[in-house]
Amino acid sequence: MTASLFFAALSFVWPFLGAVLVAMTGKAQNRRLSLWAAGIACLLSVVVFLNPGTVASGWDDDPVQRAGRVMLAFGLLMTVLEQKSFQTRLLRSLPYVSVGLADLACITPEPVVGLGLLGLSLVYGVFVIGHAAGKAMVGWRILRSMAVGLFLVLAGLLLPPGKTEAGIMLACGSIVLAGLVPFSMIWAENVDLAFFRPFVGAVILLSLHFRAAGGDAFHTTLIIAGLVSLWFTAVSTRGDDKWYRFYSFPLALAFIAVGARADVAALLFLCGWCLAGGTEMAKYAWAARALACQPPGAPFVGCLLLFSVLSDMSWMLTILTIGGILGVILRVFPKNSGDLSFWPHDSAGRVACVVLVATGFMVPLAMMLGVF
Amino acid sequence: MTLAAVIVPFLALCVAARSIAFLPALGIMTAVAMLIDGLTPLQEAGAAFAVILGVGPVLFLNFYQYDEVRERKVIAAPFLLPGVMILLMLMNLYPDGTVFPAGICVVMAGLVTVSVRQTMVWQWAGLLTCAEGVLLSAVMYRQVTAFAVTALIGCCIAILGGACVHRVMPRVHVVRAPVRQERKNKKWQRSQQDDGDALDHAAGAPHPDYVPQRSGASDRGPAS
Repeated sequence: MTASLFFAALSFVWPFLGAVLVAMTGKAQNRRLSLWAAGIACLLSVVVFLNPGTVASGWDDDPVQRAGRVMLAFGLLMTVLEQKSFQTRLLRSLPYVSVGLADLACITPEPVVGLGLLGLSLVYGVFVIGHAAGKAMVGWRILRSMAVGLFLVLAGLLLPPGKTEAGIMLACGSIVLAGLVPFSMIWAENVDLAFFRPFVGAVILLSLHFRAAGGDAFHTTLIIAGLVSLWFTAVSTRGDDKWYRFYSFPLALAFIAVGARADVAALLFLCGWCLAGGTEMAKYAWAARALACQPPGAPFVGCLLLFSVLSDMSWMLTILTIGGILGVILRVFPKNSGDLSFWPHDSAGRVACVVLVATGFMVPLAMMLGVF
Repeated sequence: MTLAAVIVPFLALCVAARSIAFLPALGIMTAVAMLIDGLTPLQEAGAAFAVILGVGPVLFLNFYQYDEVRERKVIAAPFLLPGVMILLMLMNLYPDGTVFPAGICVVMAGLVTVSVRQTMVWQWAGLLTCAEGVLLSAVMYRQVTAFAVTALIGCCIAILGGACVHRVMPRVHVVRAPVRQERKNKKWQRSQQDDGDALDHAAGAPHPDYVPQRSGASDRGPAS
């Protein structure tokens, strides 16, 4: 009990410690050190998931959130593996700080406090991205679109809980914060994924907390927005410069899953986003395949779970979702990406593939055993 | 429902329709609307933050050159905005028609400003309007946590936006610099005249040692 509580506390403090360590060391030892720090963060989150010391001591922590923190930690590891070296100290510490703040935002019992922590993470990210030479307006555009989402969610949380307007505002705010494609054009900016990967993951995990305040309108709006995003991506023109539209594909599916109350499916799509989503996706066929819900992999299992839940709700929604996914795969899926092999050649891809397949197998097993 | 709470959304409308110059008035009126109901610590802190967020950025902007010419005129925005506000009021009013949702209306005005206007300063004003609106509704519904979070985010947006303004826009004293240079020239002239130099030359003319010799030589040439 005490040991597990210690590990739980350490898993929250560790990303910040790692940020300080990585920022303090020079360029020579930096890569090895940052790999170690990210690896230990992954290990700690897995240990906390297996031995939850937080439940007994009164923290608001359910298995889905704990599993989500494991995904965020692996997303940190992927960020560190993909980026060969960050130029400045602040950029080096950015992924650690945003993962740490995202972890804290997911565990807070009040969604408003979690939102404030997300806001802090946004401010730090914008400061680090925008203080480089010539990046002031990029930082401002990120701040602008994300702050719109923050204020929408705040206004929704201030309305009486359960009302229609509150639900609509919360859902719209979450969607703008996550950057779903037709509602937010943030991915067109060629953004820094070291910041956005944990931030968007935390938005999805936090939107599970908004349920009590949002009511039915929240779920309906999320499903509608997810479908609109899916079909927009499916019918949009194909082109190499429009790659960013594919970014939000796993996020749209995750929001449909949140709206359909399929938390585990949302978790699996989050796994896909953290491990395969982002800029590297254009280069690697395996990542695009995993994101496009092809077996084996976590998003594929998430799709199956989502369909099983959606078909209980309504057949129309299921058909629309399947049609949207097929449209995206047929139209937007990269035909001529570089590396077509199934087993990736680089270490980052191998780690991601193993984790994706393992999560795809383990999560249904855990569901059957009654963990979730 | 007070008169102040009704005026606040109209000032937010002015920010969306005209310019950032209405932001201080919006901040002060928000503070008045908060303080009119009572003087609890939450309301006083809320009024203080509303005034800071409203007045501070406009004072800061005085040190920079801000041209509103670059803004493309969007005529639809001011008309779109009351529509959204009235819709919200109708949506909100029919269950229990007691509280006028002034804060939410201000937030809507701010969101319209951010999405419709193109210049950075105007969008900054829109975000600050949003912050004022959320502050107002947090104080009206007595939500301390939401108030603290909004004050934090609002201050961060004010600071980051100010940093962006500082980096993107030219400062006003850069424009004054040539004036100072002229003054320096005049000072230099005066000091030259004090030294006893009787030549009446313009600022920036060639040095007097050189010019008369040549012209004098060419003038004297034919005479001698």
